[in-house]
Amino acid sequence: MSAVAASEYGGSLHRTTRAARWAPALAGVCGLLIVAATAEIVLDGALGHSSLIPRSPDIAGWLTGIGERLGYRVFLIALIVFSFAYVGILALAWTRDAISKRWALVLVGALHALIFAGPILLSTDVFSYIAYARMGVEHGINPYLHGPSSITGDPVYHYVGHDWKHVATAYGPLYTLLSYPLAPLGVTGALWGMKLEALLASAGTLALTWRCTRARGVDPVPALLAVGANPLYVVYGLGGAHNDLIMLLLMMAAVSLTLAGRSSIGHDGLAAATVVVGALVKATVAALLPFMILSRRRLAPVVGALAALVLGALIGYAAFGIHGIDVVAALNRDAAFVSTDSFPTEIAHLLGKPGVFPVDHDLLKAALVAIVLHLMWRTWRGYDWVAASGWTLLAIAVTSTWLLAWYILWPLPLAVVTRDRRLLVATLAVQALFVVHQMAPLLAPVS
Amino acid sequence: MNDASAHSDASARSDASARSDAATRPNAATRRGRRALGGGLPAWLRPLDAEQPGLGRTRLIETTLLLLAGLFLAIATVDDVVLQTHVNNRLVADLRTWRSYTGHDYHNVAPERDIFGHTTRDFVCGNTAPGPPKERVQICLVMTGPIIHGRRAVHAGWYLPPKTEDLLRYRYACFGSAVQQGLCRE
Repeated sequence: MSAVAASEYGGSLHRTTRAARWAPALAGVCGLLIVAATAEIVLDGALGHSSLIPRSPDIAGWLTGIGERLGYRVFLIALIVFSFAYVGILALAWTRDAISKRWALVLVGALHALIFAGPILLSTDVFSYIAYARMGVEHGINPYLHGPSSITGDPVYHYVGHDWKHVATAYGPLYTLLSYPLAPLGVTGALWGMKLEALLASAGTLALTWRCTRARGVDPVPALLAVGANPLYVVYGLGGAHNDLIMLLLMMAAVSLTLAGRSSIGHDGLAAATVVVGALVKATVAALLPFMILSRRRLAPVVGALAALVLGALIGYAAFGIHGIDVVAALNRDAAFVSTDSFPTEIAHLLGKPGVFPVDHDLLKAALVAIVLHLMWRTWRGYDWVAASGWTLLAIAVTSTWLLAWYILWPLPLAVVTRDRRLLVATLAVQALFVVHQMAPLLAPVS
Repeated sequence: MNDASAHSDASARSDASARSDAATRPNAATRRGRRALGGGLPAWLRPLDAEQPGLGRTRLIETTLLLLAGLFLAIATVDDVVLQTHVNNRLVADLRTWRSYTGHDYHNVAPERDIFGHTTRDFVCGNTAPGPPKERVQICLVMTGPIIHGRRAVHAGWYLPPKTEDLLRYRYACFGSAVQQGLCRE
């Protein structure tokens, strides 16, 4: 080695050593910023009286007195800080190996504890879940036939979102049955039950994601942080106690089964059955099935899926009648909704249109079908079925005219498990665009 | 010590060799597994452990399309944020104008705007006397043009009876250029 080369090597080594020394400290700062941003949202949100916090029974009253009323400005600044710190922590975890397993677990655990202790954030959906449960258990009304407006005298009615008061449930019969035991606990008890369900589902999803990444030979620490410290996952998904977390748990259980029992028929059948069970919670996860079946190329997943479907349909029919298993009708109804945050709406505005029209819905469906067919062909040719499923879930979210923050979480656990890094980059890019789209009130506050 | 080390090395090599053999020579369980994985199927139906060769070009096309789609979505998102920001700026100016024009410092004033950027002509309605929203006679003002000193110009307006929406059939006592603009009946 020449003297110049030796000197360059020494300089490079010095820089690497210096970076390695700084990386854990930088990761610590990012972690603290994430916790601080979450704490700010939770403590300010606990005060209520904010358009960001849905009207709710006082479950976080003991946290009041520390924060101030949560306004858009503070919320959006906290979200930006959280997002930048998240990107920083992921970069450090992946490139510098700067974060230990214990540290990552402590960070994710702290975020979960903070959110669990706080109020419901940003969505009234959890009150719809409780309303449907109380309709069935306390009032004997089929939640697949009527909306919460049929129980105007029930204490939960006042907390249900205005747009959903007349809407029957679109969730799977298994989820509805799962929520029934919480109904007799009263609104506050059921709310805590829903929060606990979301917390446990999230913990399970993260544990299974960890297991899947290890089975795939991917570093589990950055994967855990990518999902468990994701701003949309924590603030919107967990903060709103959304049942999407239960769907994600079952989705990752299915993936875990296929990875754990690669050569076992039983595992494959069980994995497909688990996907169907997930679809009986929320139908979206059924998108995994064709890719799983194409990848395995055996009868077991088909048999497992059919068995679970028949059993689920029987249970759904017995509990709720034909409407309880008419998933297609519910999906068609929801597909017609339009939200201001959806990408099709943004594109319509860009093209000078006031919004999306029926023909746009057809075009979007055609685009989605084309994407799915391409991914099926790729899977047939040996592409990772987990990645193909993730792309499909991402495509569903992007082409949907009804986009909510927690929909962009669907592909995230799959994106960290697969080795096709494009999926993770695309998922995080879409999430970043969603966050950017929330920024208008920060640039031009409305008083 | 050396013997022990040599023995240990040999043992390790032997273990490694055994592992290597196990990896290359399918044992009974693996063979069963392969059968289960579709060993009895025709070759084109058997599951693949890796992607078939020759998909590099597909991947390149996919990545290019993804980048283009991402760029398009980013442009649409930024455009929408800019649009919304302009709408918010107008909203603030319109509320201030309505309060200054009517002399009422009400907060329950309902702006109705052309949020899609076709025009900047917006209507702002509010009660003429204190009360819950839309429960009193309402006055609506039509605001257009740029924001000057935090306010916009009022070119027209009308009144609405209590408990009514701002629909053409309810508008009365129109003033300014409301009739000429086709916003009110004669």
